Amino acid sequence: MAGRQIYNPDGFKNIEADGKTVGYQFEFKAQYYRGITLSIVRDIKINVDGEDVKREDIRFTVNNETFTLEEMRTVIDSDYRWEFGDYATVSVMKEGGLSKGNHHIHAVQVIDPSYMPFTIEAVCEADFTIE
Amino acid sequence: MSYDIKRSVSLYSYQDEYYDKKLDLEGCLRETAKTGATGVELLAEQMIRRFPLPIETEEFRNQWFEWLKKYNLEPSCYDAFLENHLYDNRMLSLGEQINMMKRDIRLASLLGFKNLRTLVSTPMDVIEGSLEYAEQMDVKIGLEVHAPFSLNSGWADGYMEMIHRTGTKYFGFIPDMGIFCRNIPDVVRDKARRHGASEECIKIVDDAYAQRIEKGFVKIKYDLNLGKANMDYRMANGMQEMMDAVKAAGGGPADMEYAGSSFTYSWSDPQDIIDNIDYIFHTHAKFYNVHEDYKETAVAIPEVIEAFKKAGYKGYLSSEYEGGEHLRADMPVDSIEQVRRHQEAMRRAIEE
Repeated sequence: MAGRQIYNPDGFKNIEADGKTVGYQFEFKAQYYRGITLSIVRDIKINVDGEDVKREDIRFTVNNETFTLEEMRTVIDSDYRWEFGDYATVSVMKEGGLSKGNHHIHAVQVIDPSYMPFTIEAVCEADFTIE
Repeated sequence: MSYDIKRSVSLYSYQDEYYDKKLDLEGCLRETAKTGATGVELLAEQMIRRFPLPIETEEFRNQWFEWLKKYNLEPSCYDAFLENHLYDNRMLSLGEQINMMKRDIRLASLLGFKNLRTLVSTPMDVIEGSLEYAEQMDVKIGLEVHAPFSLNSGWADGYMEMIHRTGTKYFGFIPDMGIFCRNIPDVVRDKARRHGASEECIKIVDDAYAQRIEKGFVKIKYDLNLGKANMDYRMANGMQEMMDAVKAAGGGPADMEYAGSSFTYSWSDPQDIIDNIDYIFHTHAKFYNVHEDYKETAVAIPEVIEAFKKAGYKGYLSSEYEGGEHLRADMPVDSIEQVRRHQEAMRRAIEE
């Protein structure tokens, strides 16, 4: 039997801008039980097909507002929380995006609720296809 | 002694259905009412979008109270999260934390709650600094007593000293019934098996847990450094010996995980409830798995409820389902059915 869905199966796609492919994106839900300010998302680590993504190449979007991981450190606005059960869109800036076909993603959500002695490091893995 | 034990559901219980968008906030209230519970416990940050802004609006509050009326529910407890590590480069100052606590007390009050749950990481100074406001708003601050913490312990004494020194009636304890686990929940053991734990290692861990109960858990001490207090507690309760035995038996990651997780559960004497009843005004009825025959596999529900009766408890027992986290990676979670069974198990223990 299948476990819970973390990634939106329809969320994996390349990002086009001015006729060029500038990166790729996916959507996933926070593996925690309440909505959180982006400031306590201490890191998003991404590895696709065995290759680590650089932190500065990552963009994080909730409610149509996009932040870098560096900017997220101070985001506490109520309109831009990572709501419980909602997908956040993660974009990776990468010239040419991903090739058509099958890929594998290994991402880690590092979340730091203040009452926990350790940060949560939720590993989120999936196979996906770029069409 | 006369008692008035009422049943509530913490909406924390329905997190898997909420995550999957099978239930929204109103759906959770509807399910709560269906179980026969008359109280509801809310994690505002879990189910109210754009927290805390809607709570400030009359529109949302009107909707909230309309729902409570429709489903015949009384607000039992508001679960606050003092996010004092909001930024990665510093802790919030004492004043900032007190302001955050006061904000949460006010939000609780706006939604009709008379009790607010705060977490063990809340500094004593923040609680003390909020007491006057709590009294003014008529909202009691309850410190969750969650394993590895326990009542009648050096840790609890620290708070008891503050209660006596200030004479406050607006602070007390919210015991989490996970401190009354006769054994490690079966869903945790089954998960370990699915992940490849060996029967030999599982037995070592289960025996070590039984031994902790037999000898009596060494209680945790009061220490602002929770990580240190927790590690001292684990060591005092035989963690090293158990880990060594698991390793010697060829334990792999699944075995080590099961061994480590055994410290998430503890056993306190239900007498602790009776001894501390003057300071208990709400209770988290934590549970992990209730079978079709209404038996919880770990929490000693009948014994603990018997202690609440003897003590003359007047307050809610609020179902808090926490078994889903041991299932959801591999299979669907049915919190609705689990909560229904748990409420029935509590009803029987209270009424029969």
